[in-house]
Formats: sequence, structure tokens, C-alpha cells
Amino acid sequence: MNEIHKLSATQLSNMLKSKEISATEIAEGTIRRINSVESKIDSFLTITPEIALAAAKVTDGKIASGATLGAIEGIPFALKDNICTKDVKTTCASKMLGDFIPPYSATVADHLTSAGGVLCGKLNMDEFAMGSSCETSYFKTTKNPWDLSCVPGGSSGGSAAAVAACEVPFSLGSDTGGSVRCPAGFCGVVGLKPTYGTVSRYGVVAFASSLDQIGPMARTVDDVELLFSVISGKDIKDATSKNYKYKSENTTLKGLKIGIPAEYFGEGISPEVKTAVLAGVKTLEDMGAVAIPLSLPSTDFALSAYYIISSAEASSNLARYDGVKYGYSGTRDEGLEKLYLTSRSEGFGEEVKRRIMLGTYVLSSGYFDAYYKKAKLFKNIIAKEFNDAFTKCDVIISPVTPTTAFKFGERTTDPLQMYASDICTVPVNIAELPALSVPCGFDKNNLPIGMQIIGAKFSENKLLSVAKSYETAVGGFAVKEM
Amino acid sequence: MAIDVKHIAKLSKLDIKDSELEKFEKEFSAIIKMVEKLPEMDCKVSLLDTENVMELREDVIIPSLPRDEITKNAPKAMAGCFVVPKTVE
Repeated sequence: MNEIHKLSATQLSNMLKSKEISATEIAEGTIRRINSVESKIDSFLTITPEIALAAAKVTDGKIASGATLGAIEGIPFALKDNICTKDVKTTCASKMLGDFIPPYSATVADHLTSAGGVLCGKLNMDEFAMGSSCETSYFKTTKNPWDLSCVPGGSSGGSAAAVAACEVPFSLGSDTGGSVRCPAGFCGVVGLKPTYGTVSRYGVVAFASSLDQIGPMARTVDDVELLFSVISGKDIKDATSKNYKYKSENTTLKGLKIGIPAEYFGEGISPEVKTAVLAGVKTLEDMGAVAIPLSLPSTDFALSAYYIISSAEASSNLARYDGVKYGYSGTRDEGLEKLYLTSRSEGFGEEVKRRIMLGTYVLSSGYFDAYYKKAKLFKNIIAKEFNDAFTKCDVIISPVTPTTAFKFGERTTDPLQMYASDICTVPVNIAELPALSVPCGFDKNNLPIGMQIIGAKFSENKLLSVAKSYETAVGGFAVKEM
Repeated sequence: MAIDVKHIAKLSKLDIKDSELEKFEKEFSAIIKMVEKLPEMDCKVSLLDTENVMELREDVIIPSLPRDEITKNAPKAMAGCFVVPKTVE
């Protein structure tokens, strides 16, 4: 059983049910794997072997007694470190929350453990999920398993790298402007950004509440589907969550219309990425799908709207960090104002400060209408454009990112260059749509390329079905040997 | 456009060192220039989304976290309260 780390959650689940393997063996194998590759990848901020072994023991007891098993019974998973876990440190990769131990768990974490999942740890990310490379983490730099000198993407870089390096079969990330899809694309794994409202946000540390959504990542489409089916659904603790429960569906590719938006294949998109994504479309066409050209003219403005909305909401959400209730606390002997100032100035990193200030600026007196209100109104325009597009096609396919993974430090000096990595993913968040990132080949440096499949609201079943057909046609996705 | 970074920092309860000011100002101007790129729109219309109203739960009392759990992460807590520096002389 030396190779169990390479097995998918679905395969492990079948082996458990047929008693070919025990949950304890799976948990021990997973911890061994994490310990052997973590020094190269650095995807975990906290590893929880005791919790994993205890949960596995419960599963083995259930199997022995013939009790009903949960949907992910005995399967190891890990969570992005902005998802609260009771009694397990949740840092958001920030000095601000470096010692924060939540007194409660996020709804998604509860769902996974109730379904029998085995928590193995918490994953690195950009600080407060602000970034596209995982480089703004206060604690460590996660490496891309395909090339250790390259970034894993962000902000859920740890979630993608841990899955790509076979440390866990699946993980959860969060996606505000591409934070699940970008690292999934860079690390060659499958990542889903679900429709806004399908997954409860209760217990995920808020960045931009109208855009944030938790999403699953795995090496196979089946595993992403399995995880999504466990985490989705209405939660009374999140007023924006919707009465939705995932149901699997078989979408036939025969006659399926794929929209190809010209704006997503233009200037700034690397020729290698463009070629690989269009080859992916061709594979689907060979199975009966029909590609149709499309225009989404507002795409050019999406990045502006995204940075206004997300920063405005971040400045408000992050106002809670005051050095009083929890988190990093600064100087206490020079009055309350000084406590606020020192706690926030010493506790937050540079990118977080930049976004708080941008948000404060666009919301400040005299600027609200010109920026935030305009951006929110623009949201309706972009949503309408997508709605109109979906009257002509069933899904839309585009690149996930303009380029493949870049080297460490390459984009850290210019924020705008880093923000540009999000151009293909942010419109989806603004329009509240679901989108999948699926591996579709490699560039000349053997770095993975991601293909984005976007659907109408609540069409996750269609996206996953199309992705499964693609996965079968290409004979499954490559796994990096390490 | 000149942006008063010191003032924005003050509103954000952040302290930007003088040595960092120039860098912040430069980056900030570039970002503002980028986000200004939005089409003209009628800003008099309401932002209320009447089709997607939030579904509120029943207003029933359910158990909450115990007080000592809430203050467990506080830098300084006393008698079940958060402690702040003296604010009234």
C-alpha cells in the first residue's frame, strides 16, 4: 500500500467499503505522505495527525459494527486556513490571526466531518485571501509541485499544491475573484467556484462578502463533485445561502453549444494558453459539441469593478481587527486610538493594507457614487451579458489565467501586474456564476494550463458532466511524480 | 490626480511610515487610474435587488457560544469583558 496517496477519494471510499483497507491505514499513509513531501511543497500551515487518526478510528469502528457510513467516510481532506475549525488554529496566513483558535467551526467544516471526512490540516494562502500567487502569506511560501521555483497560484495556493502533490485527495479553497480556479489551473488540478449562495459562508473569514464562495479542489472531476455534494445546501447561519441541493446529471455533448468569448482570447493571453484551451474545445467538438463565437464586451471593465467592490467590502470586513476582541494586539499604554493603529499597522501585511486603503478611498465621502455604486451597477450589466450569452450557448469556455505559473518574485513589485492575473476569472464572481478549472495540457516548460468552463447560475451539474466527458476523452489528468 | 495617502491611512486606522509613503502613493495612483476605467452609468438608480431578497431565518432563540469561549482569544479579558485602554479621564 505504498501508493495510496495517489488514489482518488472515490477509489479510497470503494476500498474502504470492500474492506481492502482501513481508515487508519489511509490516515497513516496520508500523514506519511505529508511528512515526506511537505519540506519541498510547504502547503500546510497546521498539520493535525492526532485529529486525523482519531477520526479514522471512529470510521473503523463504524465499519466494524456495520453502521451507516457518511458520503466521505474515512477520506482525508484539508482546508484553506480561512475556514474556521473549532480548537484548530485558523490564521488566514496573517500575523493578525497568528494565534487565533476559533471557538466554532465553519458550516462546511461541520458538513465534512459529519460526512465522515478526516481533517488532516490547514492550508497556506495569500494573507486574507488577497493575492494570486500565495506569496503574501505571512508564514511561508508554497511551491508549485510541477516546478518548485514557480508559484502555486492564489489565493488558495496551499489547497491546490497539497492536492497536486498527492498530500490529500481533496481540499477546500475559497474563491473571491479566481482564488480556487487560478491555483487549480497553475497546479494542474480540478477546481470549482460554485454559484454564489450554493455553499454556506458561515465561518469562512470574510474578505468580500458579495463575491466570496467556498469551492472544492481535487485531482478528478468525480472527487470535486463528491465534495461539492457534501458542502452545498441552505444554511440558516448564512442569509445569502440558497435552497439548493446538488443533483448529478448527465449532459450529452451531442449538440452542446460552447460559447467562445473573443475578449478572453485576445491581447495579454499567452499563445500557448490559447492554443491549449482551443485544443480542449476541439476535443469536446469531436464528441459532438458545437463551438460558437461570442462577445462579452464588458469584460474589459470587470477588473476595475472587481477591485472596487472587493476592496470596499474588505475595508469594511477587516475593520473588526482592532486588537481588542481577538487577533494581534499592539501598544496598550498610549490610549485606545494608538492600540487600533499599532495593532492594524503591525498585524496586517502590505497587500492587505493596500486593499483596505483602496476600499476606504472608494467608499469615502464624495467618492461612493463614482466608484462603489458605479461598480455595483456595472455588476448588473455584466450579469445581463452572461445571461444573454446563455440563451445562445450551454457553457462558455475560456482560459483560467492569461499565463501559466510564474516564478517567485516576478510580479510582487507591481500590484497591477499581479491583479492582471485575475482578468479571466473575476467576471464570473461579479456575475455570481459557477465555473470549473480543468487541466487541458502543458506549456513548453511542462507547467499545467487550465481551461475554464463557465455556466449559468446553478448549472454545476452541467459543468461537472461536461468536465467528466473531457476527462474521459483525454484519459484522465496527469499527476506529478514526486 | 493627487491622492492624500496619509488621510486615507488615517481613515483606515493604519499608520504608513514616511519612508513608505512615496511607494504607497505611486502604487495607489496607478491602481486608482486602473479602477477609474468604468463605463458611464446612471448612478441615480437604486441598488436594491428586489428579485434576490435574502431569506431570513425564523426569529427564534437558540443557544449561543458561552461567554468564556468568546473571550478566550482576547488579548486581554477580565470578568467576562474585553479590556481596552482607559478612554475617559
